[in-house]
Amino acid sequence: MDCYTANWKPLGDSAFYRKYELYSMDWDLKEELRDCLVAAAPYGGPIALLRNPWRKEKAASLRPVLEIYSASGVPLASLLWKSGPVVSLGWSAEEELLCVQEDGAVLVYGLHGDFRRHFSMGNEVLQNRVLDARIFHTEFGSGVAILTGAHRFTLSANVGDLKLRRMSEVPGLQSAPSCWTTLCQDRVAHILLAVGPDLYLLDHATCSMVTPPGLAPGVSSFLQMAVSFTYRHLALFTDTGYIWMGTASLKEKLCEFNCNIRAPPKQMVWCTRPRSKEKAVVVAWERRLMVVGDAPESIQFVLDEDSYLVPELDGVRIFSRSTHEFLHEVPAASEEIFKIASMAPGALLLEAQKEYEKESQKADEYLREIQELGQLTQAVQQCIEAAGHEHRPDMQKSLLRAASFGKCFLDRFPPDSFVRMCQDLRVLNAVRDYHIGIPLTYSQYKQLTIQVLLDRLVLRRLYPLAIQICEYLRLPEVQGVSRILAHWACYKVQQKDVSDEDVARAINQKLGDTPGVSYSDIAARAYGCGRTELAIKLLEYEPRSGEQVPLLLKMKRSKLALNKAIESGDTDLVFTVLLHLKNELNRGDFFMTLRNQPMALSLYRQFCKHQELETLKDLYNQDDNHQELGSFHIRASYAAEERIEGRVAALQTAADAFYKAKNEFAAKATEDQMRLLRLQRRLEDELGGRFLDLSLHDTVTTLILGGHNKRAEQLARDFRIPDKRLWWLKLTALAELEDWEELEKFSKSKKSPIGYLPFVEICMKQHNKYEAKKYASRVGPEQKVKALLLVGDVAQAADVAIEHRNEAELSLVLSHCTGATDGATADKIQRARAQAQKK
Amino acid sequence: MYLSARRPLPGMPSAESVKGTSGRSRKSPVSGGRRGCPRTPRAAGAQTEPCYLQSASGRDTVAAGRAAQVAAAMAFPHRPDAPELPDFSMLKRLARDQLIYLLEQLPGKKDLFIEADLMSPLDRIANVSILKQHEVDKLYKVENKPALSSSEQLCFLVRPRIRNMRYIANLVNADKVAGRTRKYKVIFSPQKFYACEMVLEEEGIYGDVSCDEWAFSLLPLDVDLLSMELPEFFRDYFLEGDQRWINTVAQALHLLSTLYGPFPNCYGIGRCAKMSYELWRQLEEEEDGETKGRRPEIGHIFLLDRDVDFVTALCSQVVYEGLVDDTFRIKCGSVDFGPEVTSSDKSLKVLLNAEDKVFSEIRNEHFSNVFGFLSQKARNLQAQYDRRRGMDIKQMKNFVSRELKGLKQEHRLLSLHIGACESIMKKKTKQDFQELIKTEHALLEGFNIREGTSYIEEHIDRQVSPIESLRLMCLLSITENAAKQFPVELLFSQQETRERSLLPHGLQELQRAFLGRLLTEGSGLIPKDYRSLKTQYLQSYGPEHLLTFSNLRRAGLLTEQAPGDTLTAVESKVSKLVTDKAAGKITDAFSSLAKRSNFRAISKKLNLIPRVDGEYDLKVPRDMAYVFSGAYVPLSCRIVELVLERRSWQGLDEVVRLLNCSECAFTDMAKEDKASSESLRLILVVFLGGCTFSEISALRFLGREKGYRFIFLTTAVTNSARLMEAMSEVKA
Repeated sequence: MDCYTANWKPLGDSAFYRKYELYSMDWDLKEELRDCLVAAAPYGGPIALLRNPWRKEKAASLRPVLEIYSASGVPLASLLWKSGPVVSLGWSAEEELLCVQEDGAVLVYGLHGDFRRHFSMGNEVLQNRVLDARIFHTEFGSGVAILTGAHRFTLSANVGDLKLRRMSEVPGLQSAPSCWTTLCQDRVAHILLAVGPDLYLLDHATCSMVTPPGLAPGVSSFLQMAVSFTYRHLALFTDTGYIWMGTASLKEKLCEFNCNIRAPPKQMVWCTRPRSKEKAVVVAWERRLMVVGDAPESIQFVLDEDSYLVPELDGVRIFSRSTHEFLHEVPAASEEIFKIASMAPGALLLEAQKEYEKESQKADEYLREIQELGQLTQAVQQCIEAAGHEHRPDMQKSLLRAASFGKCFLDRFPPDSFVRMCQDLRVLNAVRDYHIGIPLTYSQYKQLTIQVLLDRLVLRRLYPLAIQICEYLRLPEVQGVSRILAHWACYKVQQKDVSDEDVARAINQKLGDTPGVSYSDIAARAYGCGRTELAIKLLEYEPRSGEQVPLLLKMKRSKLALNKAIESGDTDLVFTVLLHLKNELNRGDFFMTLRNQPMALSLYRQFCKHQELETLKDLYNQDDNHQELGSFHIRASYAAEERIEGRVAALQTAADAFYKAKNEFAAKATEDQMRLLRLQRRLEDELGGRFLDLSLHDTVTTLILGGHNKRAEQLARDFRIPDKRLWWLKLTALAELEDWEELEKFSKSKKSPIGYLPFVEICMKQHNKYEAKKYASRVGPEQKVKALLLVGDVAQAADVAIEHRNEAELSLVLSHCTGATDGATADKIQRARAQAQKK
Repeated sequence: MYLSARRPLPGMPSAESVKGTSGRSRKSPVSGGRRGCPRTPRAAGAQTEPCYLQSASGRDTVAAGRAAQVAAAMAFPHRPDAPELPDFSMLKRLARDQLIYLLEQLPGKKDLFIEADLMSPLDRIANVSILKQHEVDKLYKVENKPALSSSEQLCFLVRPRIRNMRYIANLVNADKVAGRTRKYKVIFSPQKFYACEMVLEEEGIYGDVSCDEWAFSLLPLDVDLLSMELPEFFRDYFLEGDQRWINTVAQALHLLSTLYGPFPNCYGIGRCAKMSYELWRQLEEEEDGETKGRRPEIGHIFLLDRDVDFVTALCSQVVYEGLVDDTFRIKCGSVDFGPEVTSSDKSLKVLLNAEDKVFSEIRNEHFSNVFGFLSQKARNLQAQYDRRRGMDIKQMKNFVSRELKGLKQEHRLLSLHIGACESIMKKKTKQDFQELIKTEHALLEGFNIREGTSYIEEHIDRQVSPIESLRLMCLLSITENAAKQFPVELLFSQQETRERSLLPHGLQELQRAFLGRLLTEGSGLIPKDYRSLKTQYLQSYGPEHLLTFSNLRRAGLLTEQAPGDTLTAVESKVSKLVTDKAAGKITDAFSSLAKRSNFRAISKKLNLIPRVDGEYDLKVPRDMAYVFSGAYVPLSCRIVELVLERRSWQGLDEVVRLLNCSECAFTDMAKEDKASSESLRLILVVFLGGCTFSEISALRFLGREKGYRFIFLTTAVTNSARLMEAMSEVKA
């Protein structure tokens, strides 16, 4: 145990720092790191190296080479750089490599060296060239900041949603700043730069000079500045070898340190833990590494090799050609347990457990001691926590063993923290393995979340590991396994050397009906790689037709898409395909396709009815649907055409169509209508008034009402209006005219085909009881009662009914007997009824 | 049309209208009571010759003494042991919240353009003040006039129709010409259709407007009635063959099952029912797991296509609610009573639902009972008012503060319904309603066809009403096939034995179905009548109705008997098919046959015309036939009754064949186990293409008899006139 704290270095009174090896690097670098452009992603991310970046020779062997390694130095990709000179490299939050070229173009590469896309930082950058560039991370994503040859800054806070922002100018700036960095305050990115003894803070509108509080005098220039991982703290290194540490807002000073080294450091980064009071900065020179904080002494390390610092959330990674190390402040729990002569409960528990394993009674003593203080719960918690911060599995194990041991003496200690820690450590150990090479610490892992970690594994194409982790952690399928499988499938379809058949089968075998897997997404990817056939095969597995259709359309398999859409029963989908087809096929083919799909056809017809009438006609024409064609022209005759000639012509076309459809009735009716239209036109010309668009019946009525009886009769003859109708028509019209004389003449012209009851009715409707009575006498016997009742002659009606001995009629009359006046009649009927019953 | 901000939208009962009536009753509540008092049933009957409304035999006179007993029976609209209805107000809340959310998506003041059809439904969901709260400034109706809105943000609430898109496009393009930039948002209800977006794109404004969906497809009109308020469903599906609303239906069913638990038993009849069912299942499967483990609240669901039963929808309604609908047109659960009803110079919008205490007691009653009930009620009311006389001050205070308001309310409603009854009476007696009903009943029973035909002819000649005439013609067409009733079963056995050996199995099935079709071709009008009626009609109402007839024919509502389809003709057709042996041709032949009704045979099979021994007592009805004066049991309701009885279509094969429809049934045993006996008596009946109030009343009656409770879901409440109007082609 004594040796365990051997690598602990105290800084001041309260904090220890330790440095341990993560990996010995697997790579076999020929160059020194200093000859390369280096970029390492945070959270144990990959390392990118651009060798020979400054060579301009044409010789192929000397061209720059871009290499990507995992954190353990396992090569992931290597490619010859063929584009322009690169100024800076950096990783985005999605682990994409951003290469900033001198001309302001930013090339984006994937983890495996696959080119993704590129974008430009604007014309101004292009003209003035890039002097320096930084990739930085904010809560919105990854940004790029560029210092141009004109000493102006341009930045974009999020490369995913590129919005270029040109920062304001520093007045009178003649030379490049000695150092600069990006700050992120109030969700806005700023630039802090140092020119001589002055510090300027820039945003897109303002430029303000700032002074760090409590800065030692005599500074003539700043050589280096560093912002902490969370943008909360800032460190400044001056030409006097003095380091100022404070908040990034430059409002407060934390501490200062004078290292008396005037040489500019190679790198300076913050090394703090979240929620720790200790603030420290790591400064690196060629051969020296120094940790300085709020203490008079610093911790010094000697660097054997050219090294590179990577700031992390809770420490600093340091890698060189041969090793990869991690330097951080010893976490509180570990410190409590392992500090020499610690009496913390966790330390005692660990001791107790060790004694227990040795079968020594001291175990009991220790345990008692903890229990007496009532700190066993705390002890267990300490051990669990400390285990999380250990890098070596054997230490993790021994701490967890201690925790588990202590747990036995506690009632109701909730097990989840212990279980979760065990699970987390397993996952962490798995990804820390040097084959995988993601040296995450526990805090980083918690910050990153398991989902992101899984994504990163997927990005590294470590599908089996990712799936195992999902299964081990029992993540819901949709979030876990099936998502990874889908990613796998998307990768699989890119393997061009495997046949479509095999790929499709392999994918289906693995994925089956896993919920949450979208075959259409995979198919879309396949299509994106130019494998249309494979995409179609994959779509066959897609259960939701709605998902198949859009892709099929994109792949120009419109007819297949139409079938699928119709199968789905979703008309909207059918419509989408239809309109697509309409633009894609020539008209004839389009109609032919429709013909075989009745549902699609009716849909399209509906659309045409509202939007493209002419197309509708063509559709009917092509189908030889003369019936509908006729209907179409009829509609046109009154909806579209204004002129009478046009209307007649439309009707003629309609009639022809009806003949073709063998619908003689409709044809005849249409011809009649043509005749009527012409006639109405003539009537309007000759008689004035409005006739057009009246029905035949109304035309005749209008004529009679206008007193043109002759014409009316002529019309009735011409159009063979049946007698019954004519009588009704004349009767109504004459009554409306109140031409009672003519009506009587008409009634006597021959025997009425509709009887005389209607005469009574209509007269009564015009309130002419006198006339009504005239006709009532002529009504036939079977309707006599009704007629008499209509004219209000209840008494006579009763007589007739009694005469007829008709029960129904008697009731009818009875129901009309109201009040006292008809009392006698009512009695009479009752008597007659009684009599009838007697018989 | 511009609706000022202060004026309430049409469809919102305004403060004034309410005040107006209370003012009326302030005059003297007693006099109002008296107005109703003397109208004993006898007096009412004597005045207006109501025997057509009383019974099929038409000879019943009302015994006034039994009015009280009837009233007591009516006071229980359902059996006390019937299951409770689910609370559908949640649907309203959901719709409102979603609308508010959508409105908030366009922050700031905005003008709202509402499609006329959507105004009434919207009013039931969110009134003007709610809209105002969410910064709706002015309300406009979508119509073909330039909008005068000066707001910077315009929001359109429309049905997904192409003409609306044109309207919006014109508006936006006019703004563009004027160099004006505003924000436009289109909210489609109940869903967006691709065709609409397409039009927006064609008009070049797709980028200028933002589109959203307001998935408001279920409006609870009453405690047991949900309406989708999609009257165009009927025409779109049954005439144009446009299936896009089916998706909406499926969505609605899905919503219901997520809110009220899964349905263990599903039955359906008709093509549309089947498609809706399948689409709905698909939706459920996609979101599997959500409804899992939920207890079903509604035990059965029944999907019914309107074209399974056109007859019922075509009949004149004589149950009070149906009659009010036929006469005044109930729109979205409320009706506009004109001055002739309110006996004032104002018309009044009245909500008709279970909350109206007077209406809820008479809505399902045959009209002949209604007056009796109302007068009884008036007397009771009078008695309650009269209690005041002996009261001391304290009691009086109590009376005024507690009961008076209720009494006044009741009084107001009572006088309204009495007014409505009077108005109905007046209108119906004018047209010789008795003759009409007699003819209808004769058609249903299948006798006196000739007289019926000439009655219709006279109807047309007199130009009584184009819609009515059309309705009668359709009724005639569907019911008339008595002339040629084949001994269907006999023919089948003959045919089958002869052909069975010749045909492969699949073909046999086809042939069987085909034969069924050929044999039903007897229905429709005989060619002579068909032509003469059509000619008469065209002469009376204008030649454009040639298109109406073509529509009706396509929908199977008005058809012509295929000439020469005698037994031998059928046989020759079949043998030709046999020799062809091409299944494809048979299916072709299938589709060439228009849909035919086979009403006579079905009616006989299902016993739809009750045998009347003596008089049919409409006060204490025996069966569902009471909704048509005891003359006819609604076919749709009978099917529901039988299937529920059997819990399947078993034993109804013959009927299904005659209906020419595909049926489906689905029982999920797992869910059934979880269903309580309570929920198994709760039945959701879905009418695709609309249902009538008569059908609703009939099923409510059935529920009362059997201890079921029915919930109705319809694409829209319909009646004969609405059906006919949907089929009509009118000059624009």
